[in-house]
Amino acid sequence: MKVVVIFKWCRNPQDALVGASGNVDWPGVKMSANDDDPAVMDIAKVLAGDDEIVALTIGDGDIAWAAARGAASTVVVTDALTDVNSTATGAVLAAAIKRIEDVGVVIIGDSAWDYGIVSAFVGQLGWPAMAAVTSAELDQGSLHVTCKMGGVSHVLEIKTPVVLAVMATQTEQSEPSMKQVLMARKKPVEKITIADLGFSPNFAEVTSLRTRFPDTPPAILYDGADPASACKQLMAALHNDGVL
Amino acid sequence: MNMNSLMIITDQRRVGGMLNAVKALGGPITAAVVGPRSLADTVSAWGFERVLCLEPAQGVPAEAYSAQVAEVAAAIAPRLLLASDAASSRMLLAAAAAKLNANVIGAVRALSVDGDAIVISRSTADDKVLEDIEAAGSVAGIFSGADVDVITTQPVSVEQIAADSSTNMRLIGVVESEGGNGMLTAARVVGVGAGLAAKDDLKLIEELAAAARAEIGCSLPVCEDLRWLSEHRVIGSSHSQVSPELYIALGISGQPQHMTGVRDAKIVVAINNDPEARVFKFCNYGIIGDLYKIVPALISAFKNMNG
Ligand SMILES: Cc1cc2nc3c(=O)[nH]c(=O)nc-3n(C[C@H](O)[C@H](O)[C@H](O)COP(=O)(O)OP(=O)(O)OC[C@H]3O[C@@H](n4cnc5c(N)ncnc54)[C@H](O)[C@@H]3O)c2cc1C
Ligand SMILES: Nc1ncnc2c1ncn2[C@@H]1O[C@H](COP(=O)(O)O)[C@@H](O)[C@H]1O
Repeated sequence: MKVVVIFKWCRNPQDALVGASGNVDWPGVKMSANDDDPAVMDIAKVLAGDDEIVALTIGDGDIAWAAARGAASTVVVTDALTDVNSTATGAVLAAAIKRIEDVGVVIIGDSAWDYGIVSAFVGQLGWPAMAAVTSAELDQGSLHVTCKMGGVSHVLEIKTPVVLAVMATQTEQSEPSMKQVLMARKKPVEKITIADLGFSPNFAEVTSLRTRFPDTPPAILYDGADPASACKQLMAALHNDGVL
Repeated sequence: MNMNSLMIITDQRRVGGMLNAVKALGGPITAAVVGPRSLADTVSAWGFERVLCLEPAQGVPAEAYSAQVAEVAAAIAPRLLLASDAASSRMLLAAAAAKLNANVIGAVRALSVDGDAIVISRSTADDKVLEDIEAAGSVAGIFSGADVDVITTQPVSVEQIAADSSTNMRLIGVVESEGGNGMLTAARVVGVGAGLAAKDDLKLIEELAAAARAEIGCSLPVCEDLRWLSEHRVIGSSHSQVSPELYIALGISGQPQHMTGVRDAKIVVAINNDPEARVFKFCNYGIIGDLYKIVPALISAFKNMNG
């Protein structure tokens, strides 16, 4: 049973520059993997055991990213656009998974920024899926998955094939060494195009009309040089808002 | 074009906010509750045209019914499918969206109609701006906007759907967070971040919490790097989401992973000595200053108020 990990190579929304009119720009922003993707690799290694981890990504990012963290090979869809539309991205990823044989578990980051891609992907693939996954293990051949549900965690027994959307709870603990990165560059990479996927989108177009600032008022800021006065003003405002 | 909507509901969170947003479309709204009958009974008085209820079998998670919910969605053929950002709602929405060939759009905050098109306002660029997106066909939105109180009306009768016997997933355990979690339901929460200089200074924060009758939460570094507070106090995208009336962030820079955890707070106050701190863009009120000077003044202010 193969474990497929999906990793992303994208501009990080945190780096977006917003102009005075609410327009968004990305001058010289570096692409990177997603915050959740290291945790995706950690869980993949637990579940794969001696089996193979195959990585899947879109675009022209660091193809060795997952290979340096334990993937045996990487599939790249080279000509898919990544920022256009979550549904299209999800459909491309699902089509690419369907080409890989004997996949038991697909692991994807549970989207810190936009839950759209994960849901679009899960729907297009059509497999059972769990989100907010924090850990997983194999217990005598059956898959046990822990998911965060509000204030508690649920442990589920799930049959494969399945998609797990993983939520990282910490920053990456150990980055791969230079040696691992160099070795990773020698691992097999399969480059495919959308044409190879025989993929024809069947959903209507969406058009981005504009970006704009939300109409919520900006924060009221008090100068703390005089703490007592600042706190007095704050308390009066909170009183007015009815939260005291 | 018919603007009928279907809302997938697995818990009560954000349902009021979603209803408020969907009303802008004008059409009938159906609720598909995948959860306990009591939840369906509650929302049946919230102004939905129809309320369907699929009660999961004992020990079976809502996600196991994805295919069945997709069938329900196909029968209703809504122009808009909407679910909250709760994990199980998103997974149920996934299958239904694929069945309807709907465009999936995340981070939805508001909806409107322009001619035949639905216009979705979604948060983007790390919550700094809203993007308005026009969609011609059907849309599956994941809503993460603010919740809104609902005015109850005459309840409609709940239509029960028999749950298919599903065997692909099964609940085998529930792990409660250690130490209980009063923070999750508290009316006031004081959050402390890496701006605190020493573990001993937590006493100051405890004193504020006592004066303000608040629970204490923290940012991730205070738990993970400093180990001053335990994991169940961490607020943020990967830990606990809180929804107090009042959240006071002390020495917290306001990174998105933290701030998504307080998105449902009614009022956010930030105290930070860096005027450029990101938190000042995501709060209602801020005091620019050293927390060691501001917190004692705030303690006095709360004590005065409580007489
Ligand atoms: C996968 C992943 C998941 C994560 N999940 C979470 C999460 O769930 N929750 C979370 O909180 N973080 C999370 N993080 C971490 C997050 O990215 C930030 O690193 C973190 O929130 C920063 O915490 P902080 O604001 O306390 O610290 P800092 O960013 O270091 O900010 C400290 C602030 O204190 C201010 N300050 C310093 N001294 C004083 C003083 N004397 N008076 C007043 N202000 C002062 C500084 O100006 C600064 O703004 C996650 C990260 C990753 C990669
Ligand atoms: N352009 C992309 N290429 C490959 N994977 C992606 C892409 N966008 C999103 N993903 C996957 O979806 C997850 C969530 O992405 P995001 O919604 O951007 O946080 C990531 O962890 C990736 O696994």
